[in-house]
Amino acid sequence: MNEKIIQLKRELSKAVIGQETMIEGLLIGLLSDGHILIEGVPGLAKTTTINALAKALGLDFKRIQFTPDLLPSDIIGAQIYNPQDHSFSIKKGPLFTNLLLADEINRAPAKVQSALLEVMQERQVTIADETFKIDSPFLVMATQNPIEQEGVYALPEAQLDRFMMKIVVKHNSEEEELEIMRKGASKSFEEVKKVLSIEELHTLQNELGSIHIDKELEHYIIQLISATRDPAKFGLENLSQNIMFGVSPRASIDLYKAAKAKAFLRGNTFVTPADIGYVVHDVFRHRIVLSYEARAKGINADEIISKIVETLPIP
Amino acid sequence: MKRNLGKILKLFIALSFVLLSAEDFTYDFHLDKQDPYLKEPVILTLDLKQTNHNIVLLFNFDLRKSDDYLFQRIDTKETDSHHNTQIHYVYLIYPLKSGEIKLSFDLMKKVTTDDSVAYSFSGDRDNIKGLVTTDTKITLPPLSLKVKELPRNTTLIGDFKLTHKFKKTKAEAYEPIPFEVKIEGSGYPPLLENLLPKNMDFTLFQENPIVKSRHSTQGTKSSVIYPMALSSENSFDLNPITIKAFNPKSMKSYTLTIPKQHFTISKVDVNTLVDKTDHPKPLRSDWSGFSSLLSYLVIFAAGYLTALSVKWGKKTLAQTEDPFKEKIENCNDERSLLQLLMSIDSKKFATDIEILENALYGNAKINFKKVKQELLEKL
Repeated sequence: MNEKIIQLKRELSKAVIGQETMIEGLLIGLLSDGHILIEGVPGLAKTTTINALAKALGLDFKRIQFTPDLLPSDIIGAQIYNPQDHSFSIKKGPLFTNLLLADEINRAPAKVQSALLEVMQERQVTIADETFKIDSPFLVMATQNPIEQEGVYALPEAQLDRFMMKIVVKHNSEEEELEIMRKGASKSFEEVKKVLSIEELHTLQNELGSIHIDKELEHYIIQLISATRDPAKFGLENLSQNIMFGVSPRASIDLYKAAKAKAFLRGNTFVTPADIGYVVHDVFRHRIVLSYEARAKGINADEIISKIVETLPIP
Repeated sequence: MKRNLGKILKLFIALSFVLLSAEDFTYDFHLDKQDPYLKEPVILTLDLKQTNHNIVLLFNFDLRKSDDYLFQRIDTKETDSHHNTQIHYVYLIYPLKSGEIKLSFDLMKKVTTDDSVAYSFSGDRDNIKGLVTTDTKITLPPLSLKVKELPRNTTLIGDFKLTHKFKKTKAEAYEPIPFEVKIEGSGYPPLLENLLPKNMDFTLFQENPIVKSRHSTQGTKSSVIYPMALSSENSFDLNPITIKAFNPKSMKSYTLTIPKQHFTISKVDVNTLVDKTDHPKPLRSDWSGFSSLLSYLVIFAAGYLTALSVKWGKKTLAQTEDPFKEKIENCNDERSLLQLLMSIDSKKFATDIEILENALYGNAKINFKKVKQELLEKL
């Protein structure tokens, strides 16, 4: 594995105990320029993780707590009238940062969630008639409560599609919990130091481009994508009635990039089917729109993805 | 002096004209008879006709209530052509007192404008405004009726016929004998307080009469049914009943009669009805307690077995092989096993995946059976 990545993981482990899945997901997002949606109950070190990542990279970090009365201008900024010289000036919102934590994104209605659409895709923000570019790297890590909770709004499909991966965070193991408890009580968490500069991060991102992916694996990715749209074509007739919409073209790009990043994080110079298998659930699960029948039967997207991976032969 | 008188006369004529024209309408009363008999139907019609066509005119008219007469409005026809209101009212009146009676009226003239009418109908249902009118109470002179008295002892007024029905004429002591009297015809509604005379040697049970009436310009057509029942210990006679009626149309009196009827009542031996045994044995065995107990037991057993069946179901599930284990066992080569492990979103198999990858893509040699065995042990 790359020495810098090992250093980065070591620094993060000073502040975050366990949660390898979330850390791995964040690193994949950071290296492949994608955004991460994290679903989990409160108290699973989501804020701590991204804060630690910002410190370890020496990047600017901002957090927005999404609430039902939040307005788009609270996020992107607004034009402010100056009565002294009768002019308008731009007040930039918290979007202007490198690492953005959109905490409990589904507590705000869709109009506010949609304020992130432009910046997530185009890496730019338009306030009034002026457009501003966002500095690279730019990563949005949004957290959401499970939809079953009260007072939450489901994210629109267009918004969900802009997240490279959706990671479901689970509780720590008992051993990890014990360590958290001891360190938390004694306040003995070590301070996270900067171990990677922006230039070094850009170098790592460039290295990702040199990771080889075989044509057969590219074809395998396309087959996985197609199987979500037309399961019957791959002998998965029983899945057809459970899927309303398959994944979008963004999913194929993100799966391709995420598989490369995963291979890179594993210290390989080429992608294997297992790299795709490691990330396919995270890339697909928020993009598959389940049918009413599937929801009524209690089938979730992960089960459908598992079935597809199990059925399609690997190269 | 003559000049002055002439001026006063001209002024009076001019003033009268103004007063008349200020009414803005004409009215015309008509009574079909002036000297009816007591409780004989009288038809009153009133025609109101707008004469001032420059205004929008509306009316509120009704007869004033009085103890001297009863009335019913039976028809109203209104011609609502533009600025030319014409209303035709028809009333049915029954004088309740003989001698001279006065029919008094309440008339309200309501003047409004076209704009006000248009506004009252505009807007949605939440925005309807009341019609703004200028109301003037018009005093109409009362009409007189000279009401003639009826022949003595007359009970019903009109043209009626009486029918009666006994369900049976033979009964046991105290058994009720249903009896129904029906009076129908046209005239003043035949409602009688006491159809049968009091102090008869039987007990009378009676319900409120069932009345059906329909008013029209021909008078009132009515049908009144008196449901009753008679009961007695001994045989008895229902004496003839005679009701004197008067038909004002033919001005002739007539009688409605229920003829004498004998009822035969048979005695019942009261002694057989009295139970003389203390604590008599039940006529049949009472098994209801046992059947209740049995039903409780059945319900309990059903609930108990249902609970057990859930437990059996769980046991069966637990006994069933883990499908994932079965799938692992069915894998014949490294590729199929790797594919299976990839389909599970779990980092638990990361080491196994790496071993299989090395075997497949890195030419490393592995013991496939051992890998499978380790996997099964992990599960």
